[in-house]
Amino acid sequence: MTALELISLANQVLFVGLFVAVLWHAMRQPTRASVNTLLLFGSIAVVVVLARLATAFSLNETGWYSSTILVALSVAPLAMVRLVDDFSGTPRWVQVVGLVAFGVVAALSIFAFAAVEQIVELAVIAWFLLVGGYAAYAFAREATRTHGITRRRMTAVALGALLFIAAVIIAFVNVLLPTPMLGMIGPLLALGAVIAFFLGFAPPSWIRRAWREPDLRHFLERSIHLSALEDERRALVEVQEAAAAAFGATGARIGIAGTQLGTLRYPSAMGGWVEYRDDEFIAGQAYSRQERIVSLDASRADPEHASVYQSAAANTVIAAPITAEERRIGVLVIFAERAPIFIEDDLWLIELLAGQIAVLLDARTLATLAADIRSREEAARLKEEFLSAAAHDLRTPLTVVLGQAELLERRMARDPNAPVDAAGVTRIAREARRLRDLVSELLDAQRLEQGSAIMDPADSDLGEVIRAVHERFRDHGLDLRMTMPEQPITSRVDRMRLEQVLDNLVENALKYTANGELPELVLEAGGATEARLRVIDHGVGIPEDEHERIFERFYRASNVQSITDTGMGLGLYICRRTVEAHGGRIWVEPTPGGGSTFVVSLPALAAAQPETTTVVPPAVQVPTREAAADA
Amino acid sequence: MPDVRVLVVDDEPDIRATVSAMLEIEGYEVTEAANGAEALHEIEDRAPDVILLDMRMPVLDGWGFAAELRRRGHRTPIVVMTAARDAAHWASEIAAAAFVAKPFGFDDLIAAVEQVSTQELTKPQVATVDPPSQPGPP
Repeated sequence: MTALELISLANQVLFVGLFVAVLWHAMRQPTRASVNTLLLFGSIAVVVVLARLATAFSLNETGWYSSTILVALSVAPLAMVRLVDDFSGTPRWVQVVGLVAFGVVAALSIFAFAAVEQIVELAVIAWFLLVGGYAAYAFAREATRTHGITRRRMTAVALGALLFIAAVIIAFVNVLLPTPMLGMIGPLLALGAVIAFFLGFAPPSWIRRAWREPDLRHFLERSIHLSALEDERRALVEVQEAAAAAFGATGARIGIAGTQLGTLRYPSAMGGWVEYRDDEFIAGQAYSRQERIVSLDASRADPEHASVYQSAAANTVIAAPITAEERRIGVLVIFAERAPIFIEDDLWLIELLAGQIAVLLDARTLATLAADIRSREEAARLKEEFLSAAAHDLRTPLTVVLGQAELLERRMARDPNAPVDAAGVTRIAREARRLRDLVSELLDAQRLEQGSAIMDPADSDLGEVIRAVHERFRDHGLDLRMTMPEQPITSRVDRMRLEQVLDNLVENALKYTANGELPELVLEAGGATEARLRVIDHGVGIPEDEHERIFERFYRASNVQSITDTGMGLGLYICRRTVEAHGGRIWVEPTPGGGSTFVVSLPALAAAQPETTTVVPPAVQVPTREAAADA
Repeated sequence: MPDVRVLVVDDEPDIRATVSAMLEIEGYEVTEAANGAEALHEIEDRAPDVILLDMRMPVLDGWGFAAELRRRGHRTPIVVMTAARDAAHWASEIAAAAFVAKPFGFDDLIAAVEQVSTQELTKPQVATVDPPSQPGPP
């Protein structure tokens, strides 16, 4: 047996083997594509078997034999064109022309072969060249459109088709014009074809694993950092995108347990969540039945939501439950416009991705839990610090009150007629007042802590608020400079609380300005819906790296000494919480030339519509979940 | 209690005034300092017999003052007075003879000063004086 004969034998065995493989597959999943695949390799197998039988029984020279071989062989391009239609769709006329041309070639082979053998052979060559070439081109084009493992399998199919057609044409040419060179190349091309077809139509599992690996790695690379992403919706959207990319699908959605029992919520493309019953949509079915669902015609499978599937061009829907051990976590759904070409690979991938997503979501849950515990510990620690700091600050005036009172007591006991210790009495009164202020400061902070910061909101002219503050300080002989806007600015505020904030800021400004220069009050519009109140001083200023921290509880700027600061370090904290409760913001910036400027930004009512009295500040608006129709 | 000199170191003027008045009515001789640096200046002229020391002060705090005092070789007993919860811990940290936790009453203060001023100075030890304070974490 020569090497050439060995190759031919190998080709024949492989083609028959491939036929058996696709036969097995078609019997298990009798789809149109698997039947057409069977047709392709069935025709080749028939040719191979006939050729063997012919050699064994010396049928080579009979016309009947040649006609049968030609007809059987001509089925192959027809099957290819039909597969092109299955994989990527073709215009109807292509199928009609293909069928008619096949009829012509078959008729010629059966009725005219004996008469005009060479013309018939040329016709078969043309048939292969045109139709087979078109199919090979269409497979290659489809390969560039698909992704992942499908793309690789499609590429192999295209290559197989190309080599097969070349091998058949060369075999015919060799019959017409025999050359040793062509006799060599033909079987080699056929060998390449059958190997490529094997990879495309029946890839062994180790090849599949190798092909899947890059997609999986890509998915993991994209999604691994998401367990740390704080916004759960954002994280899910990213995983969805990564999953859709891994499939080359139109889209993917992930549903997780909703806020109500018996619901699933899905991140909405427009922000927020959409929530459905946990058996609604094909996704819900997969979740509630805890099984994978493949629907090649989603609108028919779930007519209730047909319009949703149609608007998303989701004809094929594959849904798999996301489960960790026995725990139901959610569901992963993949949409595609057309049925997947090699659906078994996609099914395998979706289950794998669902498993990976389960791990990711679990990691997120753990991270959230850990953060929750940390924040509770932090809250407990802050409370402890709060109590400890509060106790410390209360003890100093208490020491004076207690000590002075006991002194008075003792003096009285020793000499009831002694003159009153005026200085001692003054100290007691002063420190008692200080205690009272500290206690009310503490209670204010505590109240804010519990969230009841806004108490009595009403539409107010902010100019009036500033004037009230100004007047109070003028009564103490401090005539502050005041700058007002030309148009009055109205905002919905709790006037008493806002005045407290401004009082506090002005008192701070006075406290930290040694040279006696008075602070300045400025009101201005910061756009149509924003008002800005500024308290400008020319005092010691605040180091820039402390601009944020001075608004924290118990924080005191490092460059001021407690000699002048008798408060608890709660003043600015109370200011911040109050302003934030109004839907505003407070910050500090340096005053040009030295000192600090505290800016309070508040939402203002638009000047054009002063009658809109029902505007609610954003901070107290109830977040509404948008209910966009979405799968 | 004649001829016992006490130095009161605290940044709060009202505390100084109150403590001084308590001590004076009991017959102690009192001088005052608003922080550790002033206190060091005070003891240059004439060392007191007892030092009443606040811990948290500007310029030079209680720890800095105590360290400098010992470095200069003074063995004057110190009574720590602080509003912090870990008064006992701080007192032992600077090897103080006693402590009083704010707010302290007349008797607490006098008892501590009396005990320290009559103690042998060669046996430094921390005396716990009511009201007892829980030691805090280090």
